[in-house]
Amino acid sequence: MLTGWRDFDDTLRAIDLLQRRLDRAFDQWAEPYPQGERARRRPRTAWPPTNVFETKEAFVVKAEVPGLAEGDVAVSVEDEALVVRGERKSDVPEGYTVHLRERSPVAFTRKLPLPARVDSDAVSATLRDGVLTITLPKAKEALPRQIAVKAG
Amino acid sequence: MSMSTTTPNVSNASNGSLAQRPHQRQVVAPPVDVFENGDELLIIADIPGVAADSVDLRFENDTLTLDARRPPAKGESPALVREFDDLDFQTTFRIPAGIETGAIRAETKNGTLVVHLPKAAAAKPRKIEVR
Repeated sequence: MLTGWRDFDDTLRAIDLLQRRLDRAFDQWAEPYPQGERARRRPRTAWPPTNVFETKEAFVVKAEVPGLAEGDVAVSVEDEALVVRGERKSDVPEGYTVHLRERSPVAFTRKLPLPARVDSDAVSATLRDGVLTITLPKAKEALPRQIAVKAG
Repeated sequence: MSMSTTTPNVSNASNGSLAQRPHQRQVVAPPVDVFENGDELLIIADIPGVAADSVDLRFENDTLTLDARRPPAKGESPALVREFDDLDFQTTFRIPAGIETGAIRAETKNGTLVVHLPKAAAAKPRKIEVR
């Protein structure tokens, strides 16, 4: 419950700081760029396109990796960073000629430095319909806690 | 054979089903590869996040229409980083003559759609015996 404007400001400031920190972190991501015009819906973004959002208990990283199965991608936590490596093979099938090519093969490595408040032992990842979802639970100390007020 | 791809413009599509939604969701054409060999045309489209039963693939009057809906992303706003949008996919292909249209088949695999368009027997390359 907000007890005053100062709490609200602090919260906004914390969110803003995290956002700017993550923005800077994402600027450092290693980048292979896929060729092909339509594949480049957002210019200057590395592959795979990735969203990061926050829930009450965790940070969630979602990446669009169409064509990849579990064996094509490796997720690890190394040196306080989330590392996603993989290869999207979308080679021309043997014996076919090419009329249109917008999905290029790409090998990628993307690194995201983790905020200190993440429990790196409990990170989990799932892959479904070409979307990789990585859940990074917040460290317990970082979760909001209710403090019981006792009559004293 | 040649193929042309027409893509509708984003949002405000005159498609009636979109008009029923409370607000317009952005619609884009997915990246596609189109290949051909002696037996078929092969179309592969990137549609990450789409389950097999959310793909609507229709063939009518030489036109193949793909409409793929993703479940709306809930609880993902505001995003700390956003490189892809919460949107649906739609595109059309003009299919040239010579395809066995009743035998067109498609499957989804790992967020891609693979469409096989077999060529009609008359259109396949044939070796002609010379006596």
